[in-house]
This record gives sequence, C-alpha cells and structure tokens, in this order.
Amino acid sequence: MGGGGFTAEPSNPALDDYILSLARRREPRILFLPTASGDPNAQIAAFRGTFGDRACRPRHLSLFRLEREQDDLRALILAQDIVYVGGGSMRNLLAIWREHGLDRILREAWEDGVVLAGLSAGGMCWFEHGITCSTGRPAPVRGLGFLPGSFSVHYDGDPTRRPVFLDAIARGAMPDGYGADDGAGLLFEGRTLARIVSSRPAARAYRVEARADAEVDETALKPILLAGAAGAAGRSVPADIREFRAARYGAGGRRR
Amino acid sequence: MEAGNSLLDDFVLGLTGVERPKVCFLPSASGDADHYVVRFYRAFSTVRCEPSHVSLFRRDKGAGLGADLASHLLAQDLIYVGGGSVVSLLGVWRAHGLDDVLRRCWERGIVLCGLSAGSLCWFGEAVTAFHGPPQRVTGLGLLPYSNCVHYDGEQERREAYHRFLAAGMAPGYAASDGAALHFRGGSLARVVSSRPQAAAYWVEEVRSAVSEVALPVRWLGESRALTAA
Repeated sequence: MGGGGFTAEPSNPALDDYILSLARRREPRILFLPTASGDPNAQIAAFRGTFGDRACRPRHLSLFRLEREQDDLRALILAQDIVYVGGGSMRNLLAIWREHGLDRILREAWEDGVVLAGLSAGGMCWFEHGITCSTGRPAPVRGLGFLPGSFSVHYDGDPTRRPVFLDAIARGAMPDGYGADDGAGLLFEGRTLARIVSSRPAARAYRVEARADAEVDETALKPILLAGAAGAAGRSVPADIREFRAARYGAGGRRR
Repeated sequence: MEAGNSLLDDFVLGLTGVERPKVCFLPSASGDADHYVVRFYRAFSTVRCEPSHVSLFRRDKGAGLGADLASHLLAQDLIYVGGGSVVSLLGVWRAHGLDDVLRRCWERGIVLCGLSAGSLCWFGEAVTAFHGPPQRVTGLGLLPYSNCVHYDGEQERREAYHRFLAAGMAPGYAASDGAALHFRGGSLARVVSSRPQAAAYWVEEVRSAVSEVALPVRWLGESRALTAA
C-alpha cells in the first residue's frame, strides 16, 4: 500500500478488509509487525482496535519490548495466514529484521503462501528497492527483493519522494517499478502484479519505466475502488460473535 | 535512571569532569520509546547538564540535530544508551553507521555508558534473553570481554552464560541490577552500585569448570547514608 489501512486512515477499513479477504482461511491469523516505527504502543493499540473486532485472530510481534510470551520467531511467523507490516523507517526495518533473521523467515513464509502486506516502509520492503526518508532526505534503499523492481509510496501525500524516485530510475540506479498514492494498494500473486485496488476514489498507482534518453515514462493506473471504501460501513462484528471469539481464543484473540 | 535513585546518574555525570556536561541519550534499543525519552530528560535535567537525544526512527523530526549525527555525538561529554533489545539496537546502529561513530567517540575520550542492552553493546560478546531462550550476540567489541546483565534476577540467563563460556565465549563480567562496571580504556577500574546488595562477578572457564569471582563493589549511597545519620 502506498499508504492506508488502520494506521493511516483509521475510519476507512476498505484496504484492511481486503487484506483479510486474501487469506486462505476464513478467520485468518494476522500478525502485525510495527518494527519500522520502533514498536510504538499507539500503533499496537490501533491494530488491536481495528482487527480485534474483525473476523480474524490478531497478534503483534515486538522486536524491541520484551513480551510476556516468548516465542520462537520462525514458528510464530510460519503459523500465520497474514503478516502485516507497519510504516516508519525502511532502513531501520530491514536492518533490524536482518539482525533477527526475519528476512529469511519471511521469505520462507511467503513461499509457504502466507499473505505479506504493509503500508509505506511496510509496502516497499518486499521490493528490490524503495525510497526511504530514514535519514531525513528521500534516498533509494534496497529492500528484500521478493518482488521485482522498485516501489515508492505516498506519491500524493509526500511529494518529496517522487522526484528522487523518478531520477533514480532515469539514471538506472533503481530498476523500473511502481508508485502509489495514499489509499492505493498493489496485489502481487507470486512475483506478478495481479490487481490494483484503492480505498479512495482519487487514489492512483503509477508504472514508472526508464527510457533510452535517460528520461522516464510514468503511466497512471486506475485501481478498482473497493466496496466499503471512503466512508461506507465496514464489516464490523456483532457483539455476540465478538464474545464468542473472545471465549474461543482468549481476550483480544490471542492464540494459545 | 532508576526511580527515586540518582546515584548512578550522578556517578556517570561526575566521570565527565565537566561542570555542565553535554549528555546525549540513545533510546534505540527501545525503539525510541517516547516515555523513555521523557524519563531521560527528567533524570538529566538542564539544571546540571545539557541534555539531548537522538532518535533513529524519526530522524527527519529529530531534536534540531540536522542530518549530521556524527558531529553531534562527537561533541558530547557523555553518551547514555538505554535498555531494550540489544539485537535490534545493533541492527539500527549499523544501518546508520553509529557503530563506527561510537568507536570514534570512545577513542576521543567521551564517557560511554548504559544499562542492560546499553551495557551489553560495548562488549565483544554478550548474552541476550529477549526473544525465547538466551542467545549469544556479538557486540561492538570496544571491551574485549563478554557481558551478562540482570545476573541476580534471571537464573536461566546465568545458566546460559556459563554454558556459553564452556562453549568458548570470551571470559567476562556479570552484573546484577544496580551494579555498574567502570572501565578506563579496556580495563576495569572499579565497580560501583546504587543498591547496597548489588553484585558483580568476573566469570571464566577454568579447567572445564566455570569460576565466578565476586568483585568488590562500592555502594555509592554509603557516604550519603553517613551524612544523613
């Protein structure tokens, strides 16, 4: 996602509901990784607030704070149906993941069919390259490279990234790729772009390709506007169902 | 930054030999947690030092430091590293080149200190128990020993440390909560503490058995207690 979901547009659940719908199970296990922002409590609480009420079993993983339950990282991640990565510093995100060996574990999860999702840094990390503002100014940075090409986010919301992105592609410093406005999401199946969706009518994605004359072609791509986008009622769960889930999985849907 | 006990904070400020030292807090190991930054500014108030902090997660919105992290750190008298995950800490530092900058700070004579992960990071090797069972981690290596913290509180950590030493980890120092190891260059100068019962040990493998030698600890509250009496 170029931006969107519960941390960026808390009153618009369209993209989050769409992510849930991609899972292989009706009540998927969804793990939130707030690493790129340093695991702030506010983000974790917002995740619980959004996904605690939905048809799923939400959980988060902090790499900074000691949790009561200690886990084998690999077993925890491979048991998920969805891994949802929050925004923040892409440089920090990847450095911390590598230090904990999460880069390898996430690749294994992806190959195993786990849905990998995220916004901003959490969207760019899956590509070969992204544009990070981790050191103040926008600059190209390498990602995990599960998906081919490059990806730049907040195309409309943070216009300082776009010129750096276009320039890097024009110079050949980064491979051809995609840009996305806040509210636009790219769905890849394997390494192939399958669909572009959005939670806002005006949100666009862009295909950016280098030309022989050291310029770039930038083509706007119109997403499918998701049902429930921009203000329509979300799939909120009735109180009795919520109670049933709490009894089944424990408060907040924690997995035992 | 212990609640209601400033003995170790006073001690590290005193080591700078400067009346109003420049002190920079690095909360990286906690993911730059806001509440931790607030605690730092409470403990190290502008009354007795010039405090600042560096956030590596919000560098664009940093405390007026601009982009030049290195020159800010090199201008400090004291650098204080907070606790959290040492593995995450080292990852973020390396991504921003701070491993190299901190070595230069150390060579320049800037006092480097910290607790928990902020202690482990300076050593060649350390024991961390952040996710799951205790594991070995490679630190910055300014001090050519191993380090284990929370030595009184967590039995599993102590056992793991002994196991690692038997498996070839460099000998080193273990400290309980409240105990502080003070090194000058690469040598231990003394051990001080903020609590009367705090302990520190030199731990090494000798002839296939792990030996633990208790080190003399000076309680920093003693002189105050006498004055108060």
